[in-house]
Amino acid sequence: MIVRYSLQRLLMLIPVSVSISIVIFLIVHMLPGDPIDNLIRVGSSPQDRAALAAKYGLDRSLVVQYFVWIGNIVSGDFGQAIVLRRPVADLIAQNLPYSLTLGALAFAFSSIVGMILGTIAAVAKRPAVEQVVKGFILFGSTVPGFWLALLMILLFSVTLGWFPVSGAKTWSALVLPVLTIGFGGIALVARVTRVALLDVGHEDFVTLLHAKGLSRATILFRHLLPHALVPVVTILALRIGWILGGAVTAEFVFGRPGLGSLLIRSLGQRDYPVVQGCLLMLALAVMLGTLIGDILQAAMDPRIREAST
Amino acid sequence: MRYMAKTLLLFGSAIMSTSLLTMNFSPAAVAQEATIAFSAGELGATSYDPIKASTLNSANALIYDRLVEQGADQSFHPHLATSWEESPDGMTWVFKLREGVTFHDGEPFNADTIAAWIPEFEGTENAFMTEAIDRVEVVDPLTVKFVMKRPEPNMLYNLASTFMGVPSPKSYKAMGADYGVTTAIGTGPFKLDSFAIGLETVLSRNGDYAWASDLSVNQGAAKIAKITFREIPDQSTAFLELKTGGVDVLLGVPTDFLSILKKEANVATVTIPGTGINYMPINTTAEPFTDIKVRQSTALAVNQKAILDSVYNGVGQEAHHFLINSLPAGKVKSELEISYDPAKAKQLLDEAGWAMKDDGARAKGDQSLKVKLFTQNDTEFKRLAQVVQAQLKDIGMDAEITVFDSSTIRDEYKRNAHQLAVRGYDWNNADILDWFFSGNRLGYPNVSMWQDAKSEELNEKAMKASTNSAERIANFLEYHEYLLSQFLFVPIYQPTTNIAYNTGTVRVPKTIRVPRFRSQTVLDMEVVK
Repeated sequence: MIVRYSLQRLLMLIPVSVSISIVIFLIVHMLPGDPIDNLIRVGSSPQDRAALAAKYGLDRSLVVQYFVWIGNIVSGDFGQAIVLRRPVADLIAQNLPYSLTLGALAFAFSSIVGMILGTIAAVAKRPAVEQVVKGFILFGSTVPGFWLALLMILLFSVTLGWFPVSGAKTWSALVLPVLTIGFGGIALVARVTRVALLDVGHEDFVTLLHAKGLSRATILFRHLLPHALVPVVTILALRIGWILGGAVTAEFVFGRPGLGSLLIRSLGQRDYPVVQGCLLMLALAVMLGTLIGDILQAAMDPRIREAST
Repeated sequence: MRYMAKTLLLFGSAIMSTSLLTMNFSPAAVAQEATIAFSAGELGATSYDPIKASTLNSANALIYDRLVEQGADQSFHPHLATSWEESPDGMTWVFKLREGVTFHDGEPFNADTIAAWIPEFEGTENAFMTEAIDRVEVVDPLTVKFVMKRPEPNMLYNLASTFMGVPSPKSYKAMGADYGVTTAIGTGPFKLDSFAIGLETVLSRNGDYAWASDLSVNQGAAKIAKITFREIPDQSTAFLELKTGGVDVLLGVPTDFLSILKKEANVATVTIPGTGINYMPINTTAEPFTDIKVRQSTALAVNQKAILDSVYNGVGQEAHHFLINSLPAGKVKSELEISYDPAKAKQLLDEAGWAMKDDGARAKGDQSLKVKLFTQNDTEFKRLAQVVQAQLKDIGMDAEITVFDSSTIRDEYKRNAHQLAVRGYDWNNADILDWFFSGNRLGYPNVSMWQDAKSEELNEKAMKASTNSAERIANFLEYHEYLLSQFLFVPIYQPTTNIAYNTGTVRVPKTIRVPRFRSQTVLDMEVVK
């Protein structure tokens, strides 16, 4: 049952990917400006410029350019960066490990702490505890990442000297970026966990469990959390895409390479093949994340499988 | 719950161990090692292949030596070429090469090196550097002759470029597409140890180095044994790294950061004359700037001195013409220099029919003097645009600022949507006049939209008819002076290149004799014990 459902969803990825690739291609090419202006040297003539545009196929119609690009991608070739003059696949491969390490750690950190805080906020009998956690959630979801990053550098690196200010060579250099990115995620996960727990807590079967005399802890861990996890897992799965590209601010402030920095730099230079390659990777990550979320949800909740078959 | 406990334990021990690690994390304390942060403009280089790369950074300049070096005063100095001779018709150049120079891979440097190197440019996007050279002849093992297709008065300038750092032909051929990424072999004072794109480049001293140019005091191997160049995009982070000792030298410090840096006890700064100008092009095809009186008035309304003092705290120089001061073609007649003169600016607007109204704004008939002022999304240019806007208001011109990103603004210029713009360029050669004012590049880079028969004639003469460098200078000077007389732009400011360093860890020479950060500076740098 679950296998058939997964296969169905996997097949659906094909038309979705094609549509996404068209949207990405169009958006990138419709931006004002072009890569050649970032490449031509002082003194080159309009003819040199045209020759350069022709070399990268930019003089052809958008339809032709799209099919050349997508055709190459299908055969595993992401093309050659125009401004950065390296194969796009190489550039992505060089940056991906940094993004994955940072993203995965931040994801794990925010998921675990977020669920703990959300649970505390939901079950706390004392209004003070609930208020503190709710306040933290509000702060976490609204504080700008770059500001938080600088504050943390000032406190932990400049004043206390615990961690390096920036860089990506040592594990210690990962702590502050993970905290920066994780912070926003904690707030989100905590909020969803709290709401989901409160929702489930109002259901009739919970009243029955209480009536049966089960302890609060048993009800929470055996019955409430498994139910409440369904929306939490969905949110977490949707965030898998962010693992790869959501760290732009942190990468910038902490001087780390990564897919986000590569994307932003290439976007500024209108390096089409790189921007398209990065966006496609991110879109795929989000799609896969959603897919994993859906499958997990289906596995946890039979109603979803049945509704879709 | 078990998981939670485990995670907490793991996390706690991670923090403990990292704090232990960071106690030893103090690269500057290790003798003879220095960490340098690249300037913002040189971030993101993807290769150390000078023949094919589009961007090269300061580390590239330490790996490779050039035939000729250029000083901060734009003078040329022998390096791998000990002397040169240009034939009177400009059709041959003979270079004598330095003896006893070897590459990092042990290969000798000689005339065969040059004969193998120059043809490598063919078909690359850097081919323009050598395109005037027809062929290279080996005269003897230490003498080469360039036979030219046409005279190239820019030859020495090109040879001094970082793109003309000489790689080992043997390694270059052997490594193919990987050259510059995994390996880079030059004759420079430093060897490439490792290169992590977007993160850092580690160089180690070339102990055999004994062929420095006369621009450095130290003629032997570098005193610093190991240099780590780091890419830190955020200026605030880079500053905090310098403050905490994570970085010893910061290249390309923004001028408005200097006053903050001066407050730090352990930080000193060195400024090198810059190689560019910040200016305001005037669109000569957009009303009201089709009238030369309005253009002149606009030019005279900008107060360079006030801008130097208020925006740049007095660091750098006022600009009164289009080329940097150190270029000979920048030495224009003083009456042609564009300087602040508010009384004359107002008088010119009166003459042009733009009368002052009671509310302090000008109008001609029912049309008020409102113009668009474009600039790009950059703190410095935004501030500059605001000050210029206020200065234009003083003569009764109401300028409205619009900010674009750097790629979009070029499309706006090409659409001819602009009137005034605040921008800058960085180029230490007079041929920048052709780039920004030649009639065949209207919109961008010819933001002034300037097209004029006399101007084209002078351009042609400067660009193509000069056979030697003296003639070239005279022709460019004439072209420059004509452009100034037409008020196509307002020169504003000549920036400086600023370097900041930690006085507790490194010693940087007080005066730097090369433009930008080159091996000549690094040879004279020392790690303070």
